[in-house]
Amino acid sequence: MASQYDRAITVFSPDGHLFQVEYAQEAVKKGSTVVGIRGTDIVVLGVEKKSVAKLQDERIVRKICALDDHVCMAFAGLTADARVVISRARVECQSHKLTVEDPVTVEYITRFIATLKQKYTQSNGRRPFGISALIVGFDDDGIPRLYQTDPSGTYHAWKANAIGRSAKTVQEFLEKNYTEDAIANDSEAIKLAIRALLEVVQSGGKNIELAIIRRKQPLKMFSAKEIELQVNETGKKKEEAEKKKSKKTA
Amino acid sequence: MAATFFGEVVRAPCRAGTEDEEEEEEEGRRETPEDGEVRQQLARKREVRLLRRQTKTTLEVSLLEKYPCSKFIIAIGNNAVAFLSSFIMNSGVWEEVGCAKLWNEWCRTVDTTHLSPTEAFCVFYHLKSNPSVVLCQCSCYVAEDQQYQWLEKVFGSCPRKNMQVTILTCRHVTDYKTSESTSSLHTPFLKALKTQNFREPPCCSLLEQPNIVHDLPAAVLSYCQVWKISAILYLCYTDVMKLDLITVEAFKPVLSSRSLKSLVKNIPQSTEILKKLMTTNEIQSNIYT
Repeated sequence: MASQYDRAITVFSPDGHLFQVEYAQEAVKKGSTVVGIRGTDIVVLGVEKKSVAKLQDERIVRKICALDDHVCMAFAGLTADARVVISRARVECQSHKLTVEDPVTVEYITRFIATLKQKYTQSNGRRPFGISALIVGFDDDGIPRLYQTDPSGTYHAWKANAIGRSAKTVQEFLEKNYTEDAIANDSEAIKLAIRALLEVVQSGGKNIELAIIRRKQPLKMFSAKEIELQVNETGKKKEEAEKKKSKKTA
Repeated sequence: MAATFFGEVVRAPCRAGTEDEEEEEEEGRRETPEDGEVRQQLARKREVRLLRRQTKTTLEVSLLEKYPCSKFIIAIGNNAVAFLSSFIMNSGVWEEVGCAKLWNEWCRTVDTTHLSPTEAFCVFYHLKSNPSVVLCQCSCYVAEDQQYQWLEKVFGSCPRKNMQVTILTCRHVTDYKTSESTSSLHTPFLKALKTQNFREPPCCSLLEQPNIVHDLPAAVLSYCQVWKISAILYLCYTDVMKLDLITVEAFKPVLSSRSLKSLVKNIPQSTEILKKLMTTNEIQSNIYT
């Protein structure tokens, strides 16, 4: 049944599916995991770094990209589609600044990206963008924001979310562990992001990339050493918690 | 005869049928000697041969006649093969007893000494300390017309009934038919399908209707059902068909089955072996990030 309705993007199936959009969501699951956490005074983006070929320059393969000084995004899915979306979003950020003399709000740029994606689900001869994105940042009012967009062109605000491969496992972890204590301060929020990623990242800290934005501060990318430090601290805390638990049960 | 708009003359099909047409059809049906030769050459090319790898001589009898076993474990597909390589084959010394060589449009089995899960091969081993355990790693595609040959060459025309066969394989989750929404499925997941003679409880839930099994795993299971052999197929539905750590680890519940329990020795070491296998064989695709 699906094969009759899945070739043209503009065709609904009799039961109301747009198969190309659903297939685009499958393409997102092929990308490595991305997790976003909205803290009280911080927003954190953590990604699973994909291992690169020996002769490939690692610096070029980036999942976390700044859209403006106060907004950044991470994506999962088709690399080339992400490059196009990011490029358009960056141009829109500057265009907005020139036109209204104010930087974009996180919601505005998210809506722009979502509208762009939706256009490609309703045009003849085009296919949808095969990426989902987590967009984080601070608005002028100082409130942290985290939004997620998907290939259908919908966007929602989240307290914490994950996209890409094994996103479900990470989402379940976040649902259990995202508490007021867990985001009580910046360091706790970062540890929560790392713990969430370590649920699915096999080889530990060396395959994790982390970025944060603090209020009135630009995007900060963690170096490999800093990530390793955070991962070790998270590991120690986990051991201590397990020791306490075993003492209690004993 | 009829003329088209462009003036070309085309032969209009005649439903009545004429003598001339019948003669022409008969000529077409009559096989020329060249056709016969081509067909024979193709049949020879598509023959499944079972060889003793070291000597490269063909086995005179079927594999399980030469190496009778009580446990036969078959891994079909690169993820299942990687699972056996990491979790079962590090538990003892396995001696190679034969390999299947075949050719079809989708694969040609390789002839190298160091086989990696990304290459196409079909190799049989038995455990040196307990030769009644035979293992098969098959990462090549066995075409429909070759499956019966493979079964005959491996099981023979009259197989022993007192053996247990365990088959491991993978399938893409898009082939899984369910009334649930596919977004609620936690891939990868394991399903089992067994023959009537298999009495033990399976390590996971049974494959529900109307799902069916395909290709060589289906052929082996059907063969076992017909010959009343105790057999079970563990099918892993995954969204990543290439060699993938999470998919391979989805087979872990099978380690608690009676066939495999005694063969598992060192799980942490197995996990390390698996990781090494992944990094050495990772296909670098930059399409998805």
